[in-house]
Amino acid sequence: MKQQRYLFKILALIMFGLFLLLAVYGGYSITTYGNRWFSFSRNPRVRAQKQTVVAGDIIDRNGITLATTVDGKRVYQGSEESRRAVVHLLGDSQGQVSNGVETFQTRYLYGFETPLSERFQTLMAGETRHGDNVKLTIDSQLCTEITRYFSKHNPGKNGAAVVMNYQTGELIAQISLPNFDPMNITQATHQDPGQPFWNRATQSVYPPGSSFKTITATSALENIPDITTQEILCTGGLRVMEQAIRDYGNDVHNKLTLRDAFKKSCNNVFTLTALTLGDEKLRKTAESFGFNDNFLFRDLVVENSTYPTENRNQFELATTGIGQSALAATPMHMCMVAAAIANDGVMMEPRLLMSVTTAKGSTRPLYQPKEYRTALTPEHAATLQTYMRDVVKSGTGTRAAVPGLIICGKTGSAESSLSGSDVTYGWFIGYIENDDLPYAVSVLVESIEDGQGGGSTAAPIAADIFKYLQGLR
Amino acid sequence: MKNKQERSFRKDPGRLLSSTVMLFFFSAFLLLFLKDYAWQAFALSLAVPAMIWLGVNLLPRLFPADKLLLSLTNFLCALGVLVLYATNPDYAYQQATYYGVGLVAMVICIYLVRIIRHWKLPVLLLMPVSLGLLVLPLIIGKETNGARNWFYVGSLSVQPSEIVKLSLLLIISYFMSRRKLLPWLIFAGGCLGILMLQKDLGTALMYYGVTLMLFYASSGNLLLTGVGLAGGAGAAVMGYKMFAHVKKRVAIWQNPWSDYDNAGYQLVQSLMAIASGGLFGVGLGLGYPRTIPVYHTDFIFAVICEQFGLIFGLCVLLMYVAIIWRGATVAMAARTSFHGLLAMGATLMIGLQTFVIIGGVIKLIPLTGVTMPFVSYGGTSLVSSMCLVGLLQGVASLNEDDLDEDTRLAMLGSQEGMR
Repeated sequence: MKQQRYLFKILALIMFGLFLLLAVYGGYSITTYGNRWFSFSRNPRVRAQKQTVVAGDIIDRNGITLATTVDGKRVYQGSEESRRAVVHLLGDSQGQVSNGVETFQTRYLYGFETPLSERFQTLMAGETRHGDNVKLTIDSQLCTEITRYFSKHNPGKNGAAVVMNYQTGELIAQISLPNFDPMNITQATHQDPGQPFWNRATQSVYPPGSSFKTITATSALENIPDITTQEILCTGGLRVMEQAIRDYGNDVHNKLTLRDAFKKSCNNVFTLTALTLGDEKLRKTAESFGFNDNFLFRDLVVENSTYPTENRNQFELATTGIGQSALAATPMHMCMVAAAIANDGVMMEPRLLMSVTTAKGSTRPLYQPKEYRTALTPEHAATLQTYMRDVVKSGTGTRAAVPGLIICGKTGSAESSLSGSDVTYGWFIGYIENDDLPYAVSVLVESIEDGQGGGSTAAPIAADIFKYLQGLR
Repeated sequence: MKNKQERSFRKDPGRLLSSTVMLFFFSAFLLLFLKDYAWQAFALSLAVPAMIWLGVNLLPRLFPADKLLLSLTNFLCALGVLVLYATNPDYAYQQATYYGVGLVAMVICIYLVRIIRHWKLPVLLLMPVSLGLLVLPLIIGKETNGARNWFYVGSLSVQPSEIVKLSLLLIISYFMSRRKLLPWLIFAGGCLGILMLQKDLGTALMYYGVTLMLFYASSGNLLLTGVGLAGGAGAAVMGYKMFAHVKKRVAIWQNPWSDYDNAGYQLVQSLMAIASGGLFGVGLGLGYPRTIPVYHTDFIFAVICEQFGLIFGLCVLLMYVAIIWRGATVAMAARTSFHGLLAMGATLMIGLQTFVIIGGVIKLIPLTGVTMPFVSYGGTSLVSSMCLVGLLQGVASLNEDDLDEDTRLAMLGSQEGMR
């Protein structure tokens, strides 16, 4: 009997543990996923609210109104070109673009978050309820300009670009091509094989290619003690498991340091480095940059990036070192990678909402810079910064250079086979080192021509973006 | 005499609590009455507090009972009626009736536990009757939501697994307290087998969990309990590999959003409802709880969270924790091994069932369709939950009697000593 009593106590404690688990899990999942569940496009509560509440306006950082409601109809303002440039950020009233501001921020736009006192006032006065106006961190003019840069340097190509403030995480611009006009969605838009509703900046994952060498180099700095002084022999190619990995254009660089190899984007050296590091260490570094993490940003929904964990062998490991294998990342995440290096190792959480203003005019600031994670130490970040400076000064990224600015970056040309045919993606990730212009950029151009690379396709677009930002001074 | 008075006063934190609970429901139903001036709401605003008063204040006059436990269970039952009225009044009228029936059933259970001294005959009778009852839905039952676990008697739907869980407790407590392994093992195994055939996985999980836990408490044999646990885990893995519907449940649990229009619909609607409630809820009778399928039974916790908010939802959890705490206290104070196991079993049954359903609703574990004790709509479920409390209260009242007897003897002894 005495033992039985004691065991009853244990059983009761087990039950308490189970209930504690319920409470902790429930509280945790609602605080972290609540907004994602709520703003799901099929939520009948939102649909019902749309019948009675006039949606608030969406305004960019310079006060330009991007979306408003006129006589119960959602109107996207500006010229067709400017409407198209921001359509993936904003979303559309039909909900074709998933997780744009129009759907992901319904909490504010449809007044679910309006203070109770104000809701009561409106009710008493018998007025129509208006949702809150949302001010974004976006420079819509820059978005429009970037689409022009794309058609200037790579006419007809699809792609994406992201610009963010690396000190605060503010998203300054984000575009995805092809785009569409939210005021004129036709049957043709739906049937377009380019899938214009798809947000390539945050929803599509691509092999990062040589832009991933920033992470391989970081891992080398972290794990190989004398890597900065070592000289590595590049013979132009490497046979791993009966398969050859060659350098771009079959170049032979002979003996070079990691710094030179980074500047010239030497595949040979980086495959060797990856093999020296081993899968475990390289994966650890990639994960400290956010690979394999579940991105749960407050303002944005970003597809998770993957560092492959299955079917690993020496060949896969070697190609991971140069950003191939099954690596996958969004242009948004690669922009954050560049931003983390620029920000001395601290990766900021990307932010899109600046403030919210109620219909009665009271403004609540929402914007709080928040660290997402520490990707690398300040010392290693400083080393990487010099490497990336070299790339633009005299390496593969010279076309991103802008007179009067210190530009750092890394180019990339990633290969992938899409339904049988090989496709090459051009990448450029980089940033402005000048303190008064703390901006990081990532540009992705899809299916570039043979003989082209990130340095000739994406870097010129980045240069134009940097020039635009220079004009803000 | 003084001693007894003091003790009963100390054991009566229920007075203020029950008054508050009555006031809460009176004002809640009144609020709903003001919304559309339906006389039923007004009637309920008087009837529900009256029922709570009956349950909490009148019953303890018949025999010694644990008032805190009574207050908590009555609150939860009344909460069920309230939430059901706010979503679908028709269910609420029936539930209020079941609530009354449940109170009566609870009293009967208390008396049975108090009166019956020799359980051998009832237990031997119960065994074949329970198994027969449990098999019935397989023969004359209807399949709903993938499980074939209930049948009609006239227009009344009966879910035998809810009734059998009472006899399961009596049977395993009886044999375990007498250290007879085989009878209860066969009975529990038979029940589990039938439940598997009915595809009623949630109930099977509860039966299995309670049996295993009681075995551990009665024998203290950690090794065999571990073997039982491993066996259960093995059966779960095998079930996952063999049955398509189990695989589907697990897939929905892992990612309900991947198929939100079909398989994941229930869970997605539940999560959206919980998320839209926020911390303080959208308000009683507001929101869109009826978009959740089976909002009145399996997903009633999601409705509570939407209307009253997350904080209130956590408070409801806390009430179940308090019930478990009181139940365990009663079990520990029991004078015989049988009564202790019976009280603990009833407590574990309530606790585990609550964990299984709320865990499913908030996506902590795969969803299995069991009801939320006391709150969910359903006659059999509510009455059987009240009967569980009845068993618990019966043991509590026996403890109290014994305690009085001890005190009397002690006082007699001291008087004699003085003389």
